[in-house]
Amino acid sequence: MFDAFIEGLFLVLQWKAFSLMLVGMSLGFCVGLLPGIGGAATLALMIPFVFKMNPAEAFAFLLGMHSVAATTGDITSVLFGVPGEAISAATVVDGYPMAKKGEAGRALGAALMSSLMGALIGAVALALAIPIVRPLVLTFGSPELFMLSVIGISCITSLSGAGARGQIKGFAMGLLGLLVSTIGQERQSGSLRFDMGMMYLWEGLDFVPVLVGIFAIPEIIDLAVRGTSIAGEKPSENLSKGVIEGIKDTFRHFWLVFRCSMIGVFVGIMPGAGGGVAQWMAYAHSVQSAKDAKDRERFGKGDVRGVLGPGAANNSKEGGELIPTVAFGVPGSGAMAILLSGFLIMGLVPGPDMLTKHLSITFSMVWTLAIANIITVLLCLTVLDQIAKVTNVRGGLIIPFVLLLVFVGSYTANGQIADLIVTLIFGMISYFMVLFGWPRPPFVLGFVLGKVIETYLFISMARYGFTWLTHPIVVLLIILMAFVIAYPYIQQRRQRAEGPADA
Amino acid sequence: MRSGRVIFCIFLIAVSAYAIHAARGWTFKASLFPLSVSIPLLVLATIHLFQAIFGKGETDEGSAVDLDFSNDVPPEVARDRVINSFSWIIAFIASVYLVGFPLTVPLFIFSYLKFQSEVGWLPTIAATAITWGCFYGLFQWLVHIQFEPGAIQIWLGM
Repeated sequence: MFDAFIEGLFLVLQWKAFSLMLVGMSLGFCVGLLPGIGGAATLALMIPFVFKMNPAEAFAFLLGMHSVAATTGDITSVLFGVPGEAISAATVVDGYPMAKKGEAGRALGAALMSSLMGALIGAVALALAIPIVRPLVLTFGSPELFMLSVIGISCITSLSGAGARGQIKGFAMGLLGLLVSTIGQERQSGSLRFDMGMMYLWEGLDFVPVLVGIFAIPEIIDLAVRGTSIAGEKPSENLSKGVIEGIKDTFRHFWLVFRCSMIGVFVGIMPGAGGGVAQWMAYAHSVQSAKDAKDRERFGKGDVRGVLGPGAANNSKEGGELIPTVAFGVPGSGAMAILLSGFLIMGLVPGPDMLTKHLSITFSMVWTLAIANIITVLLCLTVLDQIAKVTNVRGGLIIPFVLLLVFVGSYTANGQIADLIVTLIFGMISYFMVLFGWPRPPFVLGFVLGKVIETYLFISMARYGFTWLTHPIVVLLIILMAFVIAYPYIQQRRQRAEGPADA
Repeated sequence: MRSGRVIFCIFLIAVSAYAIHAARGWTFKASLFPLSVSIPLLVLATIHLFQAIFGKGETDEGSAVDLDFSNDVPPEVARDRVINSFSWIIAFIASVYLVGFPLTVPLFIFSYLKFQSEVGWLPTIAATAITWGCFYGLFQWLVHIQFEPGAIQIWLGM
């Protein structure tokens, strides 16, 4: 096994494989920065180019590209409040307010270092988990995956404001997100729902136009209203110092980064959940880590922990997603399904052979994930000083370019003008949500999880009736869900009990 | 602000009521999930509507984990700028509809920089040319994204 591990490293370090990985990384870097063009779409575009490559070269190229897209996606999220990737949306919530406070360097340093940590933890998890993960994945059927998604939804309690009103608003937004996810053709019966007679809505709403509208438009409007630069009148930080501070933050909150990375790995292993869920669960966990109500209030206003959690989970989930893809040929996400076609082009069959005959190829993937992220983060850290200066440029000069990025990104979802209208509509709704204090993260969580929840619920009911509720893992997950929902209240009660004593 | 909150609650109530009404005509399988989501949404939005009308003002306790808009600008100025920004966005979409994406990109960048941001002629033209070059090179030449022709081009048979 150790020999295969080392052989995997040498496969990646061969000049041709290494050069192809660098080419892939450059593409992934650009794709990550541009909203809308996702890592999965670029993987699909690049698949035809791997026909003449050997397996190690092909995976160095494809994985090198895919693994850095999530890392650089955080840069756009922090600097402009526009998610570079759909899986970088949670970074906007605290990353952009940090940029507005003049702490862009610190936010970027934290995002990149936590991404690197997440990627390394994901790669280690991939290396360690392959021999032992089989029983775990096989015990997770539709009922367990349904409950896992419901746990994701229960994170709304942590993403909402404290108190009864905050919780009502949070749950209402989560329900609205779930409702919006039901637009389009129902998968089981084929019935059309809320299609308003428009063929565009038959397939449901795509993530990109909705997410970009929800997060980018209010930030752009706010920038236009202020009439200043993104960092405003705030004294600009010493960027190098800020970046180093962000790196230090990653190690100051290392256990948070580690826990969020593990969330990413676990969600990545489960087919169908994906990075959209992992980032929000990690963000919710970061909020839960607040010591008290006052500490919790800092989230959403530019708290570095809100950047560290999603940053780590985004990248660690890559390793997690590869586990079922390599071990059983069960892709954990759309991108992994495309990667699976790469396996077939190479003449490799995912499954036991990848753990025996082709183990060195499998380990070359682990090395690619690690090396590609190390190089990307080191490169980014050297140019962050220049990148972060964008936050001091007058808003009026940035807005047209950001708007262009937003709408080109949105258009690439389906190539229809309706995508732009969807972005505008959700941008307007999101503007009023922010204006009247209705939280956006629960809406996004509901929207991302809606289809998954409905699908797994129907499969569970059709296969098991109500008996799935008695499955041991389901019962365990129900208890875990109850804890996730109750945790903010337990925290409040504990603080109230401690309050008089402190006073 | 209170009237805005009430209007937003009414919007949520209207959305959920519409969803319930529409779902009544569907099969059980198709309607189960939307109904089980929209009914609690209707209840929560109604409770919040009553809180917004009869309750005390918002307290810090209920503030969201989300960004806050800056309040450094007088409300009238802010309102004008919001309307102005949305107008630019709507104009952008209208332009994409009328003349297509490839023409809208230089048109929009030039107009925004020149008339909204009041940048000089030379930097505006340079920025427009560079943006159009990047847009063409990346999205049309390299990635081959097919942009729909505008309504005017279709009408002219181009």
